[in-house]
Amino acid sequence: MNGVRIEGVRKAYGALDVLHGIDIDIEDGEFVTLVGPSGCGKSTLLRMIAGLETISDGTINIAGRVVNEVAPKDRDIAMVFQNYALYPHMTVAQNMGFSLKLRGVDALKIKSAVEAAAEILDLSKLLERYPKQLSGGQRQRVAMGRAIVRDPEVFLFDEPLSNLDAKLRVQMRSEIKGLHQRLKTTTIYVTHDQIEAMTMADKIVVMRDGRVEQVGKPLDLYDRPANLFVAGFIGSPSMNFLPATMSAGSVRMADGIALPAGARADAGNAPQQVMYGIRPEHIAVAAEGIPATVSLVEPTGAETVLSFAIGKETLTAVVRDRLSVQPGDQVFLQFQQGAEHLFDAASGARLA
Amino acid sequence: MPRSKLDAAARRNRILANTIVIALAIITLLPFLWFVVMSFKPADDIFAGIDGFFFTPTLENYTSLWNDRFAGSMLNSFITSSVSTILALVIGTPGAYALSRATMKQERTFSLLILASRMAPPVAFAIPYFLVYRYMGLLDTRTGLILVYLTFNLALVVWLMRNFFDATPRALEEAAWIDGASLWKTFMVIVLPMSGPALVTTAILCFLYSWNDFFFALTLTRNNAMTAPVEVVNFMNYEGWEWGKIAAGGTLIMVPVLAFSLLMRKYLVAGMTAGAVKG
Repeated sequence: MNGVRIEGVRKAYGALDVLHGIDIDIEDGEFVTLVGPSGCGKSTLLRMIAGLETISDGTINIAGRVVNEVAPKDRDIAMVFQNYALYPHMTVAQNMGFSLKLRGVDALKIKSAVEAAAEILDLSKLLERYPKQLSGGQRQRVAMGRAIVRDPEVFLFDEPLSNLDAKLRVQMRSEIKGLHQRLKTTTIYVTHDQIEAMTMADKIVVMRDGRVEQVGKPLDLYDRPANLFVAGFIGSPSMNFLPATMSAGSVRMADGIALPAGARADAGNAPQQVMYGIRPEHIAVAAEGIPATVSLVEPTGAETVLSFAIGKETLTAVVRDRLSVQPGDQVFLQFQQGAEHLFDAASGARLA
Repeated sequence: MPRSKLDAAARRNRILANTIVIALAIITLLPFLWFVVMSFKPADDIFAGIDGFFFTPTLENYTSLWNDRFAGSMLNSFITSSVSTILALVIGTPGAYALSRATMKQERTFSLLILASRMAPPVAFAIPYFLVYRYMGLLDTRTGLILVYLTFNLALVVWLMRNFFDATPRALEEAAWIDGASLWKTFMVIVLPMSGPALVTTAILCFLYSWNDFFFALTLTRNNAMTAPVEVVNFMNYEGWEWGKIAAGGTLIMVPVLAFSLLMRKYLVAGMTAGAVKG
């Protein structure tokens, strides 16, 4: 099998476990993002795949070969680092051709490989420059060029865009995705930014505290988050959570407000404490529904972010219409039918 | 206008600061200047007091040095200093790199132990060296002096370069490993070329340590390997103190020190502060 297979991988620093048994299957040519808050172990896992960290337990398999004991250079991978890690005393062309030079490829072949990669990345005019003469975005491209020139089995990206400004980040995001569609090389991409993960990945691995919380396609994670953590992590603004009790076909908040729950609420027999989740984009202001008080209005142009007080809870909604509401106004909210998510209040696991 | 008031205050401060700097520089450099002027004076004018303020400069002190053994001692100084510096860098830099990247528990202790060799007073080493060298036939040889300077410079190189390596990002080395470089290749092709300023700074400090050494050269050499600082002192002998030669010799000893510092000023400052803040 090609691609990357991670089985039961653990990482311990002395007595401290940072990864507790990770299993991930990555198909050949797939674009996978590892996403999670800082400290969740995503970068450690990537560095273990790269061979920069030892593997305490379990196996990592790249292109059908267990690589636990294989040196980084022999794993047939290329890595793009967060701070680019360009060799400061080499020109762009030398940086990009370094790996081929080490492998003893002849100078002419290196030149043509570098030029081909530079063509793809729009770096052709910069080949004789030094890294310090480049802008952040250009440096990022050179780092990617260095990876492309190797033509590896797997690309590894370690938060490559976090040093760029917002506008450039969006642009580079599309470029990396475009590049992947063109080269079809298996890619593992670490980020803490769920938007990057959503927009780029074929498959997202959400991690927290050294464990995999959920693996799935971006929209599957969005539509059916497996637990409260994933539900809150994926999507922006975050999903609203309302503590409620589910019993005999209805879901009610502590102060008695009934929440629309359709067929799902029927599952419960005995009364059960639940977290009721609803995404901001699934809430509309209507003529009737759940009474709420407007507390904040934040127009962003295309859409407006509204905050409400509903009972003792707060709720965020994103609407595309330009409503003339003011903080303090009494309004009614309609939740889009079937868009609610129910989680067990104690375990956080998704119900039905 | 408040703005021009601020400007005036800034200017006043600048003038004050410059005045203090110039005054301090004069106080510090006055003995040095006096020494240099003395080296160009004819022997009769050296202690002429205020009358000696005006004199016809002469090179006679320098030319007499040239005919003396002094030229040979300068050569000894130069050879022992350069060779010990180069050897210390060649041996010490990989060692410092290894210490910096090592994951062993005691590496901090090791580094401190290495530095400790520099903390002990030279006299603690001089007698053992003397006895061992006499036994080994290394007394009064350049090799003997080079070995002594090497041991001290090695400590300096390991300590300074280790701190420098500690402050350099490892991502570059990791990138090189993934690109296919071995540990040694990474060190030679990636790490060393980036270490230029730090290496130059360290080299200058090592060279100056050896060049300025008086104590070991005094105890471990007699004739053949005698270095310039000791030779200068030999101009104070029971036949009389040859002040002109002492001044001329002293000035010549200072020339490389000064030249080095001025030439490498940029590197010296860059190297001293390298890694202190994110550049």
